Amino acid sequence: MRTHGTVDRRSLLKITGGSVAALGLTAAGCGGGSDSGGDGTVTIRYTWWGSDDRAKRINQSIALFEKKFPKIKVKTDFQPYADFWKKFNTQASGGNTPDVFQNAIGFLRKYDAKNVLLDLREQVEAGNLRLEGFRAGLEKFGEVDGKLVGVPVGSNSMALVIDEAVFAKAKVTPKPGWTWDEYHDALAKIRETAGRAGDAGPYGIMYLYDLYLRQQGKAFFTASGLGFTEADLTDWWNKAAGRVESGVYADPKKTIQAKPKSAVTAELAGCEFTWDNFTVRYTSEGKSRYGLAPIPTTDGKRTGQYLGSLMLSASKRTKHPKEVAQFIDFMVHDPEVGKIMGYDRGVPATEAQNAAYVPTDEVGKQIAAYEKQLVESRVLEQITPHPAGADVCEAAFLRLSEEMSLGTRTVADAVKQYFTEAKTALSA
Amino acid sequence: MDTAVNTVPNPAAPESPATAPPGGGTASAVPAPRDGHPRRPAGGAPRRRNARENLAGYLFMSPWITGFLLLTAGPMAVSLYFAFTDYNLFDAPRWIGLDNFTEMFGDPRWRTSVEVTGWYVVLGTPLKLAAALGVAVLLNQSRRGQGFYRAAFYAPSLIGASVSIAIVWRALFSDNAPVDRAQQLIGLDPGGWIGDPDKIIYALVALTVWQFGAPMVIFLAGLKQVPRELYEAAQMDGAGPWRRFWNITLPMISPVLFFNVLLETIHSFQIFGSAYIIGSQGNACGPADGTLVYTCYLYVQGFENSRMGLASAMAWMLLLAVGLVTAVLFWSQRRWVHYEEGGR
Repeated sequence: MRTHGTVDRRSLLKITGGSVAALGLTAAGCGGGSDSGGDGTVTIRYTWWGSDDRAKRINQSIALFEKKFPKIKVKTDFQPYADFWKKFNTQASGGNTPDVFQNAIGFLRKYDAKNVLLDLREQVEAGNLRLEGFRAGLEKFGEVDGKLVGVPVGSNSMALVIDEAVFAKAKVTPKPGWTWDEYHDALAKIRETAGRAGDAGPYGIMYLYDLYLRQQGKAFFTASGLGFTEADLTDWWNKAAGRVESGVYADPKKTIQAKPKSAVTAELAGCEFTWDNFTVRYTSEGKSRYGLAPIPTTDGKRTGQYLGSLMLSASKRTKHPKEVAQFIDFMVHDPEVGKIMGYDRGVPATEAQNAAYVPTDEVGKQIAAYEKQLVESRVLEQITPHPAGADVCEAAFLRLSEEMSLGTRTVADAVKQYFTEAKTALSA
Repeated sequence: MDTAVNTVPNPAAPESPATAPPGGGTASAVPAPRDGHPRRPAGGAPRRRNARENLAGYLFMSPWITGFLLLTAGPMAVSLYFAFTDYNLFDAPRWIGLDNFTEMFGDPRWRTSVEVTGWYVVLGTPLKLAAALGVAVLLNQSRRGQGFYRAAFYAPSLIGASVSIAIVWRALFSDNAPVDRAQQLIGLDPGGWIGDPDKIIYALVALTVWQFGAPMVIFLAGLKQVPRELYEAAQMDGAGPWRRFWNITLPMISPVLFFNVLLETIHSFQIFGSAYIIGSQGNACGPADGTLVYTCYLYVQGFENSRMGLASAMAWMLLLAVGLVTAVLFWSQRRWVHYEEGGR
C-alpha cells in the first residue's frame, strides 16, 4: 500500500527533480534546433510574451523578413507574460535559450549576471545592427554596464486610464502637473457622483510607486538593492489602507474577482494606473469611453516618468549572431514592420517606424498624443536597469499589498515581510 | 503492506487506479510465472529453467524498470541532493547542509502553506468520503436506471481535475455568479468566495467533494460483497436501517473504507492544479495566499523564485509528511478495520 503513496508522489517529484533530468534530455535533443541547413539556410528561434493579436502581427512581420532574407528562417513561440518567464528560465538554465527573445527592464541585469545575454555591440560595429535613428535616447535603454544587451522596440510609460464619462459626471479634468491631493479629491468626487470607487487601487503597482518615489528624489531600485526605507513604504500603505476602508479605492475582493477584466471596465472604479499601450484593451473590454490622464505629482512639476520599453535580446549561445542582429535590425527599423506592429508594444522606438505608422483610431491617437506631450514637456527621466531579483520583488510587492488591502496582514507586518522577501530575492 | 489491499474482498480494487501502478507489480511479477506453472516437470535442470524464467520476467519488466530508474528513482535521488544545496538552475549547486530546512521552518509563508494544505485535507477528505459512501448506499439498491445514476455520479471524478473545470469553478464562485446568487436568495450577501481569502478554500473543498465518484465506485463494490443473510438476520432481530448500517455495513466494508481513506488522504496532499488555477489572478495561489497549498508554494519557490534547492527540500518534507500520515493510518487500522478472513 505504501508503494502507492510513493508512486503517486512521483507526479509531484517530477516537478522538481524530474524536470531537471527532463531538461537535460530536451536540451540534448533540441540543442541543434538552430543549426544551419545544408543549403546555407539558417534557422533562428524567436520567442516573446503577448496575446494572439501580437502573434498575428509578429508572424506577418516575420514573413516580410523571410522574403527579404531568404537564407534565414525564423521559428517562433509565445506565451502569456508569467508563463513566458518560467519557460524562458528553464530553457536558459538548460542552455537552450532561444536565439532572439522579447525582454524588459526588470530582466536585463538578472540574465546578464547569469551569462545568458549576448553583447550586441560587436554586431553594431560590424554593421549588422544600426543604433541610429532611435527616438528620445531610447538606444541607451538596453545597456547594462556598457554592454548592449537589449534593443528597444517601442516606448511606453505609466499613465492614468480614466473612464471619461465618469470623470465628466464628477466634473473633474486632470491636467498635467496636478497633485496627489487633487487626484484624491477627484476620487472622492467620483465616489459621490458615480457610486463607484475612484481608483482601482494604486498601492500594489511597483512601477507607480517607483514614480512616486522618483518625485521625491528616490527610486524603487538602486543598482543593487531597494531605494526606499520601511518608513516610506509604511506611509504609502498606511494611507492606502485608509482609502480602501473609506471606499475611495475599490474593494480588493471585487477587483480580484473581476479579473481578467480590469476594475475600470468592470465599472468598479473610475480610473487606474497602467502602461499607456495597454489602453487598447479597455476600449474593447468596456462600454464607456476611456482616455489617458497625466500622472499626479508631488511638487506640481515632476512626474518621475521615463520611457520604458520592450526590447529584443539575443542569446549568448546563439550560433548565428550575425543573422540574429540582422533580424533585430529589421524588426526595429523596417517601416513596413512599423505599420504592421502599430502601437502593440508601445510607440515604435525608431523614427523610421514611428513615421511609417499613423494611428487612425481614437486609442492610437491618444497614446501618440500622450507620449508626445511627455517628450515635449521634458518631464522624462533616465532609468537604470533593475537589479537581479527585481521580478521577484515585483511579485512580492503585488502579493503583500493585496494581503494588506484585504486586511489579512497589518501594514506593519506587510512592510516587514516585504523587506525580508526583497532582501532574499536581491541577494540570491 | 500490500497484503492489506489484496485481502480486501473487493473485485473493483484491482481495477482502481491505485493498484494499477507497476509499483505493486514488482513484488508479484517475479513469483507469478513460477506459481503459474506448477505442473512443469521437476526433473532436468530446474535451476537453469528458473534462471531463464527469471531472466524473461526481468526482460518483460525492463521497460518499466528503465522508466522507474530514469524518471523516478534518478530524479528523486538528485532532488534529495539538491535539498541540501543552494541551486538556482544556472550556477552549480552549492552544498549548504540543512540551511534550506531551517529557512523553510522559519518562513511564515511556508507555515501558511502547511496550514492551508492541512485544512484542505482535514476538511475535504472526510466530506468527500461521506458523500461517496452516502451515495453508494443509495445506489446499492436495485432500481430501474441505477446504471445511469452510477455513471452520472462517477462522471465528475473523470473531468474534475481538468483545467476547464477549475475555470468554471472560479466563475461559479465569483461575485454575482450562481453560488453568490444562491446566498442572496436566502438573505445573505457575503459576496463571491473567490475574492475572499478566508472562503476561497471552501470552493476548493467543494470541488474535491464534487469528485466523489471514484471512491463511490469502490464503496459500491464493497457494499455488494456484504452477505445479505446478515441483514436478514438483523432485521429478524428488529434492527432498524441505521442500526444495520452501523453494525453490519460499516464493519463489513471497513477494509474498503480504509483503502479509500488512505488513497484520498494521499491524493488530497497533492492538490495543485485546481488550487493554482482557481486562486490565480496575477498572484499565484489565491488572494492573500488563500489557496497557497503546499505544492503551489513549492512551485512558486522552484519556478518563480528559481530556488530549486529549497523547492527540493520542500518536496522531501512533503514526502516525509505523507509517509508519516500513511504510517499512522496503517497503525490505526488495527483498531477499526475488520478483515473477515485471517482475522487480523
